[in-house]
Amino acid sequence: MERRELIRWLMATAGLSCLEGLSPDEVLAFGTDLHRPSIQGAPRFRALDAHAQRTVTIAAERIIPASDTPGATDARVVSFIDRVLADWYTPQERDRFLAGLRELDARCRASRGRDFVECDVGDQNAILTAFDDEVTALRRSRDAAPNEHWFAMLKYLTAFGYCTSEVAMRQTFGDWPRPTRYDGCASVPFTRTRGG
Amino acid sequence: MSVRRAPDYDAIVVGSGMTGGWAAKELTELGLRTLVLDAGRPISPREDFREHVPPWEMPFRGLGDRRAVEARQRVQRNSVSFDELSHQFWVDDIENPYSTPADKAFHWFRARQVGGKSIIWGRQVYRWSDLDFEANLRDGIGVDWPIRYNDIAPWYDRVERFIGVSGQVEELAHLPDGPFLPPMAMNCVEEHVRDRMAARFGRDRVLTIGRVAVLTARHNGRAACHYCGPCHRGCVTRSYFSSINATLPAAEATGRLTLKPYSIVRSVTFDERTNRVSGVRVVNAQTRETREYTARVVFLCASALESARILLNSVTSRYPTGLANSSDQVGRNIMDHIKWGGASGTFEHWSDRRTTGARPNGIYVPRFRNVGSRHPDFIRGYGFQGGASRAGWQAAVRAAGIGLAFKERLTQLGPWTMNFGGFGEMLPRPENRATLHPTLVDAWGIPTLHIACAWSDNELAMHRDMNASASEILEAAGARDIRPDARGPSTPGNTNHEMGTARMGRDPKTSVLNGWNQAWDVPNLFITDGACMASSANQNPSLTYMALTARACHYAVEALKRGDI
Repeated sequence: MERRELIRWLMATAGLSCLEGLSPDEVLAFGTDLHRPSIQGAPRFRALDAHAQRTVTIAAERIIPASDTPGATDARVVSFIDRVLADWYTPQERDRFLAGLRELDARCRASRGRDFVECDVGDQNAILTAFDDEVTALRRSRDAAPNEHWFAMLKYLTAFGYCTSEVAMRQTFGDWPRPTRYDGCASVPFTRTRGG
Repeated sequence: MSVRRAPDYDAIVVGSGMTGGWAAKELTELGLRTLVLDAGRPISPREDFREHVPPWEMPFRGLGDRRAVEARQRVQRNSVSFDELSHQFWVDDIENPYSTPADKAFHWFRARQVGGKSIIWGRQVYRWSDLDFEANLRDGIGVDWPIRYNDIAPWYDRVERFIGVSGQVEELAHLPDGPFLPPMAMNCVEEHVRDRMAARFGRDRVLTIGRVAVLTARHNGRAACHYCGPCHRGCVTRSYFSSINATLPAAEATGRLTLKPYSIVRSVTFDERTNRVSGVRVVNAQTRETREYTARVVFLCASALESARILLNSVTSRYPTGLANSSDQVGRNIMDHIKWGGASGTFEHWSDRRTTGARPNGIYVPRFRNVGSRHPDFIRGYGFQGGASRAGWQAAVRAAGIGLAFKERLTQLGPWTMNFGGFGEMLPRPENRATLHPTLVDAWGIPTLHIACAWSDNELAMHRDMNASASEILEAAGARDIRPDARGPSTPGNTNHEMGTARMGRDPKTSVLNGWNQAWDVPNLFITDGACMASSANQNPSLTYMALTARACHYAVEALKRGDI
């Protein structure tokens, strides 16, 4: 039977009771199959121009670099950030973020004589760390809003986009696929045992 | 003289959610040709349930479509069950407006689709006891319940056996046990806290696993839970109870169910000569056409405030202030449960342990105030819900640093944190009242509600005590960094347990319904959703609504057979 036919049959009132005979793994596989991806195709950028895309891609990779697990580039964090800038942030938030990218380049040119993307990795890390220190100081000095500083926005979106990406959830965190049983006292680090 | 036409149906049920589904099942199984009307769209589990969608396949990774939500769902978004995928199960606030006094915010969370709020409910189910049913009489508050635990106990049995409830037998007189499926597991910290509480408080403060309408074993053709997590997005394996998953299919199987979505009941129609309701007047949500359906008996199961609204919109010459409202109690006595009191604390042990799998349930501490002793500051009481967990990357995304150290920080689990959140009883007060707004109408031109509701001193005193007693429990359990809940009292309505707007009672002068959920004024009208409640207790109410509905259906069918209604 074709997968689609099987699903149609299972979802009919008569067929659904067959689900109770499936193992939890089979049920999850069935459910995941049913809820196929709704987002397809290559990303189309709407808020970040080509230079800004490169800037964000590199900055995100410096914030969460690849190691024995994927990094921000592998997770295509820049696409998520573009979507948030285009469709989720207010115009003020978006403009603060984009102005921040220009400030990043301005500082790089002032101290290193070139744009951020042209700096070497050590300089990139040093400059981003300086911005991160500004965020920390701002939060210590007063009860600053989470997104008050553009770098806090970049870092948050990088971390959030990374941690919710497929590669990170599968490879870095081992959070996907979901376990099909509850263990309230599993060992750390968690090693998956399929089917439990 | 015209010949009276036979009614279109034996019964009409308004609403298809928690109680409407039960009315549909019981009435059809008892032989009645039943029309179930829902104001919203039909729901197909295949198309509409989205619980297995991973974060990376959501456009905003679970943050929700902020602009759409701010434009259309500014009220609904405050619900704990509202997210990027479940938002479709909540109403559009622009189409469905209501008003409140400027100084009395009220969250009216509404679900207009087949299945109603049973798709997005919290699934916690607790029986009441006579501590609750006798409370109004004992305290001289509101009106006395016309029923006691013995009247409802067999119906609790019936509902629990059908829906499937997992839980632990505790033999507490004020939280009766039921025919439970195996309990879900506690994690190591919850077990520790349970044992330390037992040592410190004995049977006075008991910690048990939540009693939840989620299957831990296959049951009535439905599969056991596979711990995927986000129940409020639906459940294709029918592992938690909703009307979509269980009662409506049972009603459908009788061949006597007619289900009509997009059917907004504007009012109940009334025959002055016979003093009986004759049916309902319906606005089609898509075409806006109006039509009537007739039946021998009408059940309102539209949710407490919607059912009150329908009655208030059903004005007749005999009932100029709304149908079945000779007591002037329709719309009054709004109750919810007060929350956002409690505390959390951390534990340093078990750093080599974590949970895996998403348990759709937590722990429960049944009410312990004013059970065996008397609290000086308030009457009634509250229960705690909560649990222990370790924070993941969510707690670290704003940590300092970049690079490998920051990445490493994201992968480290936070300390075990145990949280207790109180759910407190609200007293019925006539001034907590919904009235018809003089001018404001919904997108279909139907007058909507003005809701004035606020906590009383009793609830506020209880709320303060939640912080103190939860801290005391955590201290006894050896927790560190104990933090009382700093949020202050919840906004009324936010717990989504609104009830009381057409209360049961013993006297037609002071109550809307008798002990069978039957309108005193109009004998073939029954109201079995949260509107019927004479007090709120502190337990999550859906189980009691369902049991009262099943009980009322059997009474109504017997009364029809006898020719009484």
